Amino acid sequence: MIWAKEETLPRDEIEAIQYAKLKGTVRYIYDRVKPYRDKMDAAKVKPEDIRSLDDLRRLPFTYKADFRDNYPDGLFAVDKKEIVRYHASSGTTGKPTVVGYTRNDLDMWLNNVARIACMGGASAEDVAQISFGYGTFTGALGLHGGLEKVGASVIPMSSGNTNKQIMFLQDMGVTLLVATPSYALHLGEEIRNRGIDPQKDLKLHIGLFGGEGMTEPMRDEMHKVWGEQFFCTQNYGMSELCGPGVAGECSELCGMHINEDWFIPEVIDPETEEVLPPGELGELVVTCLGKEALPLVRYRTGDLTRLMYEPCKCGRTTCRMENISGRADDMLVIRGVNVFPTQIEEVLLKIEEIGPHYEILVERRNRLDVMTITVELIDDRLLDSYGKLSELEARIKKALKAQLGLATQIRLVAPNSLKRFEGKAKRVTDLRKDGL
Amino acid sequence: MIRQISVFVENQPGSMMNVTSVLNEAHVNIRAISTFDTPEFGIMRLVVDDPVQAKESLTKEGFVTRISEVIGAELKDEKGNLNQMLSILADGEINVNYIYSFVIREGKAPVMVFSTDDYEKAENVLRAANVKLVEEDEL
Repeated sequence: MIWAKEETLPRDEIEAIQYAKLKGTVRYIYDRVKPYRDKMDAAKVKPEDIRSLDDLRRLPFTYKADFRDNYPDGLFAVDKKEIVRYHASSGTTGKPTVVGYTRNDLDMWLNNVARIACMGGASAEDVAQISFGYGTFTGALGLHGGLEKVGASVIPMSSGNTNKQIMFLQDMGVTLLVATPSYALHLGEEIRNRGIDPQKDLKLHIGLFGGEGMTEPMRDEMHKVWGEQFFCTQNYGMSELCGPGVAGECSELCGMHINEDWFIPEVIDPETEEVLPPGELGELVVTCLGKEALPLVRYRTGDLTRLMYEPCKCGRTTCRMENISGRADDMLVIRGVNVFPTQIEEVLLKIEEIGPHYEILVERRNRLDVMTITVELIDDRLLDSYGKLSELEARIKKALKAQLGLATQIRLVAPNSLKRFEGKAKRVTDLRKDGL
Repeated sequence: MIRQISVFVENQPGSMMNVTSVLNEAHVNIRAISTFDTPEFGIMRLVVDDPVQAKESLTKEGFVTRISEVIGAELKDEKGNLNQMLSILADGEINVNYIYSFVIREGKAPVMVFSTDDYEKAENVLRAANVKLVEEDEL
């Protein structure tokens, strides 16, 4: 089922909508948001200079750093009393990236999520278990609201507690699972370990995955674990843009359809910042259209992808983005949570007993991401007792948990055992091959 | 009191040998040694004939090393003597953090090395019970 007629419009009509909304958005940010006005003035662009869709590229980019520099709500365009919801995601350093929604924004957002849920096969018949972590992250409440709009019965399960997850899957006749793909694989294997055959014993047949990319080998694995009947798609979004609901895969599995009447995608060369033609790999830049609380123009997502404009067999005419093939920056996605090495560094530098060098190792154990951070011990006072060393280890873990919202493993090593770099340090080793 | 050297070691092949080879090069003689079975990293504790030289050479090679004081008690090599010493400490409500013993000392009596939070009291109760405490120059 196709949720909205805007998903099937001819290209010229999509572009007419985009152009009309873009003009309004640019006027809106120039009048209401000082950091945008300053940037536009510096770039010598006025709202009236937007005379075609191509003029979009005259506008300055917006970066994640702009959220940090204007923390918490300096990029907001409305008064606090208009805001009905806040969410937050990781920032590159101590402060999170805070986003806000007016009542209209929420409605627009959840309608876009409803579109994505329908692309993935959801309907009013479904019983949907949301196994994303609830809280300030947009994933859980986004899919929750979108699936309610579709009319599905939503179970706000949250993440973790495998026993309870399995009990609800069985007892409530759950047909649709919302999770990160790696958690879905983990859960499926746990179910099989208990002698339950998902294909025979469960009604589950739809997976809506997000929070991290799903590679094709992971999708194959998903079928092995959950059975051939299991139809799984992934969707794309980020809290700055609204959350989930930006793009999603349809039944044709040929890329993720972007909700183009609300988001204008561009792909640029991250080095030269030049806009690339369709089909070329580069960094995705997104302009949000018609957002009230937190308008966002030419946002550098950091995600690498390609854009495809050919109409799809599913009937949708909207542009598709290829599955994300990497990052333009050093951001890691760990169990669906975005992690910047700078966040880790900031925590480690405050702990006096360890040195300034560190290494990050990411692996998958039992389908789940494990991040191990190796640090050098420099304070000999800790050698008085093993207890002091374990206390230090526990303290580092706790500080990282508070900053990242993630459990990490800590490895203490002797000083000078970590590699020193003269140029750009390469501190991260990611051993997750194809996400498996 | 005896000075002990504590060295941070990772739990991997060769890590203790790395310590002993530095000491060997520095002509430091090891009198007692102890490690515990810990998962990823551990503390190797040593009593040596020249703790200052040992720390200097280990630090130069990049080891985190600490000198701290411990008590050395000389026991007669007879049944029940360790039990007796520990009873004295227990009666004095002195907590022993860890204990280890000397390697063979060419016919001399065994020496137990231990760490506690209250050295003064520990020494007093042991002396009062006629347990011989050894000093560094006697090793």
